[in-house]
Amino acid sequence: MKRADVLLVAVVLIAALAFLVPRYFGNDAKENELVANITVDGKHYRTVKLTKEEQTIDIRTERGYNILKVHDYGIEMYDADCPDKVCLGFGFISRPKQTIVCLPHRVLVEIANQTGEDEIDGIVR
Amino acid sequence: MGLSGSESTQALKKTVIIAIFSAVAVVLGIVEAQIPLSAMGLMPGAKLGFANIMILTCIYFLRGRDAFMLVILKTLLTAFILGTFSSLLFSLFGSLLSFAVMFLLMKGGRNRLSLIGVSIAGSIAHNIGQLAAASIVMGTSSILYYLPILLVTGIVTGIAVGYAVRYLVSSLSKISLFEEFLR
Repeated sequence: MKRADVLLVAVVLIAALAFLVPRYFGNDAKENELVANITVDGKHYRTVKLTKEEQTIDIRTERGYNILKVHDYGIEMYDADCPDKVCLGFGFISRPKQTIVCLPHRVLVEIANQTGEDEIDGIVR
Repeated sequence: MGLSGSESTQALKKTVIIAIFSAVAVVLGIVEAQIPLSAMGLMPGAKLGFANIMILTCIYFLRGRDAFMLVILKTLLTAFILGTFSSLLFSLFGSLLSFAVMFLLMKGGRNRLSLIGVSIAGSIAHNIGQLAAASIVMGTSSILYYLPILLVTGIVTGIAVGYAVRYLVSSLSKISLFEEFLR
């Protein structure tokens, strides 16, 4: 490898760290309740509280179905009939800004902080 | 009919090379799709990028136009064979951006970067392109949460692909079919 190659790798690693570091130091979310915002085709579909008790969310569109499960203050894609099943690989997410994406079905699940005890719609992004 | 004998011979050689490279790239893409990366705990949707081996080799030996043809062929054929039409747009976006970056660095970079460096840049461009396409379609920038992880995996896969291309180029240079395309 040439010197320019090493320089390229260094720049990319620095950029990656620049994105990652604030994620671990700016985390004050443990004080707040978390919700999962679900959008389908870019439109808001539903917002669910992340509870310890299990909930099942069934999303059926003309593109296919996705089944989500909420439990232990997190959420995961439980099943889907998309061809590549990449969305099943995201596993269990429980931290703000983490997402589950099903591109073939245009489904997006995003975790966010809930603000205001009575306002489900008061989501800070 | 408009070409002279030597010109038509070279055009035929290019066509054969592109066809062979496309076939190999598609096979590499299919093999890659069979590897359960998610089970290894890697970023879902991340790919090893084996097909980039053929794309970078094609940029090395032939013109940008020929490599562009290879990118289109490889992406469309892989989508047909794997049945992943719904993700075709994202693969195309990633592949085209990757090709553009590798082409510019190969032709305009004045050899500052080695094949491995070009491969790393192409791999990262592919990931950025796919994420950008996904952000546009989903209408949100939340997906960019995974960008730093993909940057790191891009470096690793880029290095692996770069070494593969280096060996492939030195081997193909010894075959008579490729002799006249050497720089």
